[in-house]
Amino acid sequence: MTATETSSAPAATTRRLTTAKAMSEGIATEMAANPEVFYLGEDVGAYGGIFGSTGGLLEQFGPQRIIDTPISETAFIGLAIGAATEGMRPIAELMFADFMGVCFDQIYNHMAKIHFESGGTVKVPMVLTTAVGGGYSDAAQHSQCLWGLFAHVPGLKVVVPSTPYDAKGLMISAIRDDSPVVYMFHKGVMGLPWMAKNARATDVVPEGAYEVPIGKARIARPGTDCTVVTISLSVHHALDVADQLAAAGVADAEVIDLRSLVPLDRDAIWESVSRTGRLVVVDEDYLSFGMSGEVVATITDRDPSVLRAPVQRVAVPDVPIPYAHGLEHAVLPNASRIEAAIRAVMGA
Amino acid sequence: MDVVFPTMSQEKPLAEGVVATWFVRDGEQVAAGQLLAEVQVDKVSKEIPAPVAGTVHLHALEEAVVVQGTVIASVD
Repeated sequence: MTATETSSAPAATTRRLTTAKAMSEGIATEMAANPEVFYLGEDVGAYGGIFGSTGGLLEQFGPQRIIDTPISETAFIGLAIGAATEGMRPIAELMFADFMGVCFDQIYNHMAKIHFESGGTVKVPMVLTTAVGGGYSDAAQHSQCLWGLFAHVPGLKVVVPSTPYDAKGLMISAIRDDSPVVYMFHKGVMGLPWMAKNARATDVVPEGAYEVPIGKARIARPGTDCTVVTISLSVHHALDVADQLAAAGVADAEVIDLRSLVPLDRDAIWESVSRTGRLVVVDEDYLSFGMSGEVVATITDRDPSVLRAPVQRVAVPDVPIPYAHGLEHAVLPNASRIEAAIRAVMGA
Repeated sequence: MDVVFPTMSQEKPLAEGVVATWFVRDGEQVAAGQLLAEVQVDKVSKEIPAPVAGTVHLHALEEAVVVQGTVIASVD
């Protein structure tokens, strides 16, 4: 579960990139190796992606393969699906996950189901990239994570990197995968100068191609007293809290970065929780009917008796995300809410 | 060899900018062309590569405001 490298492990390096640059480098690596890979979406060319996901790619590959599209998500995602069924490997960018409402038929009825409906004879080897997450006063229609919605639909793989290393490796794995993969990147982990600084958003990234396996969780911080299962930006908040609480002698928390929601690494969740007996789930998506409940069910479906305390779920309550800064931070899974949840499972 | 904050505003020679991100640590070995920093003036950003290979020394803090043209690092 902790192994992230493929057999051809990358050479050691001290070169650092932001998550945005690592994601872009992963795309460039595969585009250079495979002429069937191309990228299309709104402002992905000259602008380089509004969150930096495609910086420098237009200059490197030209407008035939880095394609700026009109604001018509149904049309360009449908185009990508068609190209994928014909053997190309398109990457389509939905600027904000929040915008999926205007194009969801293409995603959940076509992208996700063509392989199934064709009896496995037609593959859809495409990637749908999309920005998620809040914390910067962008309000209810530009701040949602919504990965639970994508993960709910059979037929889609869903990956959500939290680090520069995983952003590049998961991108390469997603492009090479013969299934449609939804690649969701949180604006707060991209290392953008105009977002809140995140020290771990700039980190060592190997040059060249390497894969991070889809469906494998990573122990971001080993610990013995309780398990914090999380994903995306919340991994960083959980790590900060875990270090503070360990120093304070409250708990030595293990932090698991799921990295993929589909397939979900249930064995990794089970292995950790069966060892610690205490579970906190931190999820920046809405509380009900989503990832946090699914993680808990992973334990209770197998053997709820391993739990020594009731589970704590830290998620966005079932309300739209507010614009007002104070209200927004009250609903997001911030450090103080994570700390309270860890203290609750520890009875501390 | 000195690494200077580039002249990003021609109109305002004394324009101030920030070192938005350091991609290297003080005293690290770097390769020629390796990404050292991303700097910004107003909302325009620019990548700063290492001019030569060697040991890098940082002369500005991340987020620090500096006038363009200032030496922000050296490589020897």
